Amino acid sequence: MAGQSLDLLQGTLDVLVLRTLLWGEMHGYAVSRWIHDRTDGVIEIEDAALYKALHRLERAGAIEAAWGLSENNRRARYYHLTRRGRQQLRVGESTWRRYAEAVAKVLEPA
Amino acid sequence: MMRSLFHFPWRTAQRIDADVDDELHFHLAMLVEQLVTRGLTPEQARAEAVRRFGDMEDARRYLQRFDRGTEAARRRTEFVGELRHDAGYALRTLRGAPAFTLTALLTLALGIGANTAIFSVVHGVLMKPLPFPQPEQLVRIWSASKATGALQAAVSPVDLDDWRAQRKVFTDIGGYWYTEGGSGIDMTGEGDPRRLSAAFVEPGFFPTLGVQPALGRLPREDEMHRGGPDHVVVLSYSFWRRQFSGAASVVGRTLTLGGDPYEVLGVMPRDFHYPADRIDIYIPYATIPDHAIPRLRQDRVLDVVARLRPGVSIERGRAEMAAITGRLSEQYAEDRTWTSATVEPLLDVIVGGARSGILVLVGAVAFVLLLACANLASLLLARASVRERELAVRSALGAGRARLVRQLLTESLVLALLGGALGVVLGLFSMRALVAMGAEQLPRAAEIQLDPAVLGFALALSVATGLIFGLVPALRVTATDLQTALRDGGRGSSGTQGQRMRAVLVVAEVAVAVVLVVAAGLMTRSFLRLLRVDLGFRPDHVLVVNYTIGTQHQGTEAQMRNFYTDVLDRVRALPGVVAAGAAKELPFRNSGERMAFVPEGMVVPAGTESPTAHVIHVSDGYFNALGVPVVAGREFRRGDDSQVPLVVVVNEAFAQRFFPGRAAVGRTLAGFSEQPTPIIGVVGNVRQESVEEPSTPAVYIHNLQNTRVQTNLVIRTRGEPLAMAGAVQRAIWSIDRDQTITSVFTLSSARGDAVARPRLLTTLLSLFGALGLLLGGIGLYGVLAYFVLHRRREIGVRVALGADAGRVQRMVVARGLSLAGAGILAGLAGALVLTRFMRGVLFGVGTTDLPTFAGVTVTLLGVAFLASWIPARRASRVDPMITMRAE
Repeated sequence: MAGQSLDLLQGTLDVLVLRTLLWGEMHGYAVSRWIHDRTDGVIEIEDAALYKALHRLERAGAIEAAWGLSENNRRARYYHLTRRGRQQLRVGESTWRRYAEAVAKVLEPA
Repeated sequence: MMRSLFHFPWRTAQRIDADVDDELHFHLAMLVEQLVTRGLTPEQARAEAVRRFGDMEDARRYLQRFDRGTEAARRRTEFVGELRHDAGYALRTLRGAPAFTLTALLTLALGIGANTAIFSVVHGVLMKPLPFPQPEQLVRIWSASKATGALQAAVSPVDLDDWRAQRKVFTDIGGYWYTEGGSGIDMTGEGDPRRLSAAFVEPGFFPTLGVQPALGRLPREDEMHRGGPDHVVVLSYSFWRRQFSGAASVVGRTLTLGGDPYEVLGVMPRDFHYPADRIDIYIPYATIPDHAIPRLRQDRVLDVVARLRPGVSIERGRAEMAAITGRLSEQYAEDRTWTSATVEPLLDVIVGGARSGILVLVGAVAFVLLLACANLASLLLARASVRERELAVRSALGAGRARLVRQLLTESLVLALLGGALGVVLGLFSMRALVAMGAEQLPRAAEIQLDPAVLGFALALSVATGLIFGLVPALRVTATDLQTALRDGGRGSSGTQGQRMRAVLVVAEVAVAVVLVVAAGLMTRSFLRLLRVDLGFRPDHVLVVNYTIGTQHQGTEAQMRNFYTDVLDRVRALPGVVAAGAAKELPFRNSGERMAFVPEGMVVPAGTESPTAHVIHVSDGYFNALGVPVVAGREFRRGDDSQVPLVVVVNEAFAQRFFPGRAAVGRTLAGFSEQPTPIIGVVGNVRQESVEEPSTPAVYIHNLQNTRVQTNLVIRTRGEPLAMAGAVQRAIWSIDRDQTITSVFTLSSARGDAVARPRLLTTLLSLFGALGLLLGGIGLYGVLAYFVLHRRREIGVRVALGADAGRVQRMVVARGLSLAGAGILAGLAGALVLTRFMRGVLFGVGTTDLPTFAGVTVTLLGVAFLASWIPARRASRVDPMITMRAE
């Protein structure tokens, strides 16, 4: 993703994270894995950027965090969507879809 | 979700840092595990995980800093939210107890408002520096003669020149001649001829004050010396605005003053009001011709203001003035008795007589604030016992102590701030009213503004009172056993304790009220005494027209005499005029020129001083017009003028002092003219100096035998005196249209002005006394009302057991009177000590005046009885069945 505009990157990353958490409570590692697996490794997100996004979304009130036990009994920080997060996801999703459609139209052979 | 519902303890910075570390470690550990399952060695896996993460150290620091910010923001949000919730709750609670809220707000508003107003006056008048550069270096100087006891005498312009020449520790010394309605000059050629109020200033005047003009320039030294180009004037700001609409082109213009052309040099700044507010122009003293005021060493007419060099103390100034005047008195025969000088700080002199009155008011108003705070405390304590049960319930339901304390704090704060806001509004209005009432009596009234420091102080004090006593229930509830509070059936565990505290408070309140009412009583009695003083003349139905005979009539003695008598004749001929006379020195306005003389038969031993008396210049018929009785001999008549030898009339004080037990009429005085001067009559004593000051020996001289141009026509009218003003003016102008008139007023108003300051003080102290009674009464009522509520069960039992209504009432009233009695005793004792500070403002009443103290005691007992009787009546109506069932 290097070389892409930061706006697109950040907005996209936020949407991806929120969309991932729609499946349920997850820790940061699980989010990272899920995005990786789901996109067949096409979208490679730097972990540092992912955690910054998680904490940013937490302050914005889109997600909340709580400590819990992981599947292998380790202390992990779990994130879940808030009502505001779901709202943000809806808006982000539709914006992104429109954007992608527009890009696709440009790229289609005339 | 949990955090939004319940309150988690806040995370510390260390906790946040550790959390971030843990989260990142967990991530790495998971990733390493996964990579190992894919066949990497643990070392390889670890390196790969770190690589994939990106800049780990940067992310760690970023997240830690970011999370701390998140935490802080969250705390703020929560705090504001809770505050809003608490404030809303507080407002609802206060609205739910309107009687309590209104009383508390009113109490606060009165205390804060009164204090803000009075302290603003104190600040503006007593504390604010004078509007001059380095005002602390400014002093006033007078000639002093220890031999005659004249310590603050006017200064001779000739002496002043010597002082200025010999000065070392003074930057400059400036003299000026200004008397209200006295020093002035006629202006012609600018519409109707009119008399301007002028200050005639010596060369050192402007340099001493150090003020720069708003426009143009000040006169140079050479323009202020006699014989120099001295026909120059500087305008006061207000005169410039009024006469020239503030046009800058006035500088350089020529005005015709006293018939001569004067050049306008400049305009003084807006806040320059020295030596008085009403000055129109400043003119060099040098322009006064010798025939008006001769420039002789023995003619002392100037007021003097001087500036000490930076860092020089007033003591060194005094020492230098003593040295200079000592030398002059040895050098010049005219200065023989004027051996010294009095030097005082300018601010002290300006504030002068107003200081003692203002300080009394400060004391009184501080007591009002004390009373307001005590009342508020008492109110909050009463409320505390009601609140305790509510708080105990909330505490039992799990509300933390800190939360309860904050809730109560918010409530007190809301109350205090609302009260404070009302107080500010009240303070602003009362300050304006005060300045309007006291503008003529208060020096520097223009400088009085709402003082933020005072406002802050009164507000802080009220808020502190509100907070401290508002918190009592929270501290009690959390400190004592909650169960007791709940079991106590709503009366509160601290019922008795609170009662005791409120009893102490109410005793203190009554005591403070007593002091306030005593102060008001003393002042009122003093003022009534002042009004009943026999002035020696009848001030009612007398019109005064003040003017200075124009230079056009001063050419020859005959011109002067003709104008003087023509005016009197025409005025006397007016219908509605009963009698008319004239005097240069009007009672309360001017006490007369002091002159030395030797009464017949008296030998003045060598080395001692001749006696002196005030000389007052009057016309024929003056005593008749003023209503002063002629005790012996006769009063002046038309023929007593410059054509015949000088004769004098003296007052009774003079006759008794110098001719005790003998007839004064027919005796002579030496010193007034070459020949011994015979006394032709004795008249009653007139309060000349002021209403308070007893009459001193006075000598009256016919104005046509010793001409003075200052004239006050004294016209006794049949009807309303002011209605005659137009007719009198026309009568004067029918003789000379160019004669200016300085002022027109009634003698009653002059007398009113003379007692205006004590009147203002009486009004304010009475107001504070009434406030004291009101607050004290409310306090007592509140305590007794609660006493009845608290003991209604006991009262119910008594009634059930057959006690009659009278007995129950007596019980409550006795409780009230015993509390009030203790307060009254304490208050009387306090008043005995404190009223001595009123000595300076009282007239004819001692500070321990028995009737006042007795009257106050009766008044307070009356108020206490009333305050007890209302709750007592309620107590006697207690229905035993209802009260006992209520438990």
